[in-house]
Amino acid sequence: MSVVELLKRVALFEGLSEHELEAVSTVCRERSFADGETLVRQGDTGDELFVIQDGQVEIRIVGILPERPIVVLGEGQILGEMSLLDQGFRSATARATAPTRVQAIGRHEFTALCEQSHHIGYLVMRNLAADLSFKIRHRNLATM
Amino acid sequence: MIYKVSYVVRGKAHPGAILDASRMPQAGDKVSFGGVEFLVEEVIELMPPRGGFGFLHATCAPFCPQENSPE
Repeated sequence: MSVVELLKRVALFEGLSEHELEAVSTVCRERSFADGETLVRQGDTGDELFVIQDGQVEIRIVGILPERPIVVLGEGQILGEMSLLDQGFRSATARATAPTRVQAIGRHEFTALCEQSHHIGYLVMRNLAADLSFKIRHRNLATM
Repeated sequence: MIYKVSYVVRGKAHPGAILDASRMPQAGDKVSFGGVEFLVEEVIELMPPRGGFGFLHATCAPFCPQENSPE
């Protein structure tokens, strides 16, 4: 599957034209993680957002007891968006629970793309906000 | 349509998962995440669809083959 075909299946890029998806694909970098390997560690500085291409990733917050994952994310989901947006430390640790491939998007390239095309910037930011909203709704329901 | 599904496990034994599905999950479906198999019990719309994406919430219970096998 080409990167553009993958991006079409990701809600973060909903609404983008074929041409705009091609522009996004130029800033994606494929990375692979073995089962059990850590993608990001809580407290580290981070400047990449990850789109899960295949595999599964568990998200865990150190310091919450009893310590257990707070969610498992699968294909098509994104992680690392908070550090990308607010430039703060990683808020959680993400670990692959199966062989996992991701498309990584760096903050600098992402910002440059959004500044180049405000239409891409608007849609991706709107979708990013909706994704955060979805995650909060999931979290609220999971802790009821 | 691609469905983004928030799976929550009844009884809080598991934090649940967010997974994409190419068809709308139904009660009785099996789903696997975090290395464990679950049975879908109920599916509701969590947010209105946007473009080619649907946003659902599914309640699950751990799948126990003995309990779920026909007698």
